[in-house]
Amino acid sequence: MAYSDKVIEHYNNPRNVGQMDKNSTAVGTGLVGAPECGDVMRLQIKVNPETRVIEDAKFKTFGCGSAIASSSLATEWVKGKTVDEALEIKNTDIVKELALPPVKIHCSVLAEDAIRAAIGDWKKKNVAMVEQTAGPVAVAAN
Amino acid sequence: MIVIAEPSKKLICWSCGSENDAEVQFCANCGKLQPYMPADYFSFFGLPRQFALDRAALEKQFYQLSRKLHPDLYARASAQEQQWSLEKSSVLNDAWRTLREPLARTEYLLSLLGIRLEEQSRNASDRAAASGTVKQQVVPSDLLEEVFELNMQLEEMRMAKAGGADDPELRRNLEAARENFYQQLKVSEQDLQRLWAEWDSSADNEATRQTTQEKMVGLLNRRGYIRNLLRDVEEALKA
Repeated sequence: MAYSDKVIEHYNNPRNVGQMDKNSTAVGTGLVGAPECGDVMRLQIKVNPETRVIEDAKFKTFGCGSAIASSSLATEWVKGKTVDEALEIKNTDIVKELALPPVKIHCSVLAEDAIRAAIGDWKKKNVAMVEQTAGPVAVAAN
Repeated sequence: MIVIAEPSKKLICWSCGSENDAEVQFCANCGKLQPYMPADYFSFFGLPRQFALDRAALEKQFYQLSRKLHPDLYARASAQEQQWSLEKSSVLNDAWRTLREPLARTEYLLSLLGIRLEEQSRNASDRAAASGTVKQQVVPSDLLEEVFELNMQLEEMRMAKAGGADDPELRRNLEAARENFYQQLKVSEQDLQRLWAEWDSSADNEATRQTTQEKMVGLLNRRGYIRNLLRDVEEALKA
């Protein structure tokens, strides 16, 4: 099976590889895995507490080309979005963008899981603030 | 595609007209080869659906059946019988290959019970997305941490090697990790056998069976990770 050009491009030039301090309250870390292929993916986001905008994202993935490309793309997409907007990213968007074949769909699922897990971790660390701002943000989203 | 024969079905022998169970290979009365009826591998061997199995007895049965079903024996028989012997020999081989391996057998029986390992993770994702919660990872987070950490070390090792250096401390770490993972595999085999026994002995308790099945899935997922890691560790140490 051949990889699409976009997958190869992300694989050769992965964006935002690295790590951030997982103990920082501004950082949310998602560590997820796909047992069917043994892939592990760590995705981290740095969130501005005022605006809830994701200002930076980093990833490190051990897995196939599609898993690396999916997480690389995910970091690109979440940057500049608010956490709520980032939660809207669906694995199917990643599949489309990278032209992933059916056998590689689970890689995109993993990337979506990683985004959710990272945001979940950030929210857990910032419970007080999330509750405080949940009202106005919800209104803004409407 | 697995088609499961209804257990109550009866088969009338095409040759002598006597009634047999649908799964039989030969007529109990006249000994003639019976039509091929799609069946699951357990019923093909006339075995109950259980995880634990006597491999030696299965092997004996396999050799006996493969002699009796062999297409060469039917070279002069009717075209129908030739066809049946071909079909049955082929199923026999698949059934033997699947049932003799403890892990393949476990996955196979789980699939008969409607559980497909590769769908577990996907289903958990769907549930999380539908409820807006963070996905419940099908693999425990401490294992993920461990897997991630070890992958970091493997990468370091490969990079050091590419640069012509061999870090003895890294090597020792990897060797220790290898030992540890082999140990974990051994333990998981024992755990699996315990779960088999639990499931096999609780035919009348659906709740226990459900819990046991879930535990088996968790165990197999964990094993999958460990085996992949071991393969990578072996490769890094060898290279």
